[in-house]
Amino acid sequence: MMERGNQEILTTEGLVTGYGKMEILHGISLSVHSGEIVALIGPNGAGKSTVLKAVAGILKVNSGKVSFKGKDITNHPPHRIVERGLSFNPQGRVIFPDMNVQEHLDMGAWTIKDRLKKEEALERIYNLFPWLMEKKKRKAKQMSGGEQQMLSLARALMIQPKILLLDEPSLGLSPKWVQTVFEKIVEIKESGIPCLIVEQKAALVLEYSDYGYVLEMGNNRFEGSGQSLLTNPDVRRLYLGG
Amino acid sequence: MNRLIEGGILIWLGLAILVAFLIAIPYFASDYWITLFILVFIFAVYASGWNLFSGLTGYTNFGLAWFIGVSGYVSSLLIADYGFFWLLAWPIGAVFTSIISIGVGHILLRIKGVYFAISMVALTEGTRELFGTKYFAPITHGGLGVPFVAGIQLPTLYWAILALAFCTVIICYKVFSSKYGLRLMTIREDEQGAETLGIHTTREKITAFILSAFLVGLAGSIHFTYQNYIDPSFAFNINLTLTPIVMTLFGGIGTVFGPLIGAILFTFIHEILWAEVTQLYMAVFGAILMGLILFFPQGLLGWMKEKGILPKNRKL
Repeated sequence: MMERGNQEILTTEGLVTGYGKMEILHGISLSVHSGEIVALIGPNGAGKSTVLKAVAGILKVNSGKVSFKGKDITNHPPHRIVERGLSFNPQGRVIFPDMNVQEHLDMGAWTIKDRLKKEEALERIYNLFPWLMEKKKRKAKQMSGGEQQMLSLARALMIQPKILLLDEPSLGLSPKWVQTVFEKIVEIKESGIPCLIVEQKAALVLEYSDYGYVLEMGNNRFEGSGQSLLTNPDVRRLYLGG
Repeated sequence: MNRLIEGGILIWLGLAILVAFLIAIPYFASDYWITLFILVFIFAVYASGWNLFSGLTGYTNFGLAWFIGVSGYVSSLLIADYGFFWLLAWPIGAVFTSIISIGVGHILLRIKGVYFAISMVALTEGTRELFGTKYFAPITHGGLGVPFVAGIQLPTLYWAILALAFCTVIICYKVFSSKYGLRLMTIREDEQGAETLGIHTTREKITAFILSAFLVGLAGSIHFTYQNYIDPSFAFNINLTLTPIVMTLFGGIGTVFGPLIGAILFTFIHEILWAEVTQLYMAVFGAILMGLILFFPQGLLGWMKEKGILPKNRKL
């Protein structure tokens, strides 16, 4: 197995959860280390998004443990988890159509109470996404899907998170935008924020990933470095289409 | 820039004249007009209070009459049976309603969509029944109701409700143009999404619910003092819920001044129709309402913003 970064940021051990009586995850274990992009892939219904929801505190965990920076955060309320520095960008981008760019960023940073820190955060974000500056007053509903995804990413970064969770960042985007978004994610990683990404486009996300987990029917199936999963014949046959 | 400033001064001057005119009404208008304005402002507070919670969070509150009835009952009984001064009884009623609303909010605000709306109807109807039973009769006087005289002059009552309406609009303006208002709106747009941003949605919903309960409750207290009478079917009447909602839709849901404008137009149209076409007024009124919903689904203010007559500003 490949050597991974030495500091574990986020780990789950034997995560079991589901919706109502239906159990979706039957014991998922994974970890994200500092300086990594970690991909979570698998067929439809494998429970990829469910893992993120459980980690972010939106879904109740039945058993198992989620630790973040060495602290147990299992079943903590979502706003507490965000305050600790875990930023979750759910599927479908959660853009509030009637709000403009500035307001989205404000909402992203609202847990920051210090005014000065807030302004610093804004400046940092406008440096990372210069084009957002010109569209400050633009409402989200007047933006393209790619722009919305970028705005969503920018908003998730406002709290200067210790980790970023992304659910299907490529959903509904043109190939050009998909590439732009993933290049931005790499840039984010290089700035010191590890990412855990759930993606349907498995081959694509593995290209950019340092490590990956393959889920199947709510269980761990394979894991390994992005490259090793890409070249693993079983993974190729089952999930990457040959 | 200069034009903007002049425009601002003109608007403020206009507002000052309007406020002065409203304050002066009891000095020259007949009792009929004072009464009419009292009702306009009571319903303006109901509608604004409803809009403050439901317009921003998207949780449709079909239990507005519950706020009105509970607060109305508390203040009316304090005045009738315990000889409280009206100015003291009103806020006690409203504060009492707000405090119970904390508990109600904690339970019912976990329910979403139409189920929340129905649960609020059930709460209102249940309380109405309960207040009329023999178990509550020693306190509420049961279904017989409570006639009482608060010893307040009509002009004083008018100024009191005018002041409350004024404060309500200011509060709405402050909330709608604040970060707090934005957070409430994120709940309306996507509640789970709001949670992922670290917004404590339950707390935000409950605070807005309580604020709404307080303002509406205060107006409810004034309403029943003005009527000099309260009974369960009157206090928890579904019309006290529906009329403010229709007024809000009329003026523009989710806007600051929509409910106020809706309440004014609604009351005056209602009054004119009632006087002019007494036999047909409900039919004509219904037709007007249908037309409004069909052609101005965003309400009057929403439509004016859409057409560019008013700026697309959340502070309006």
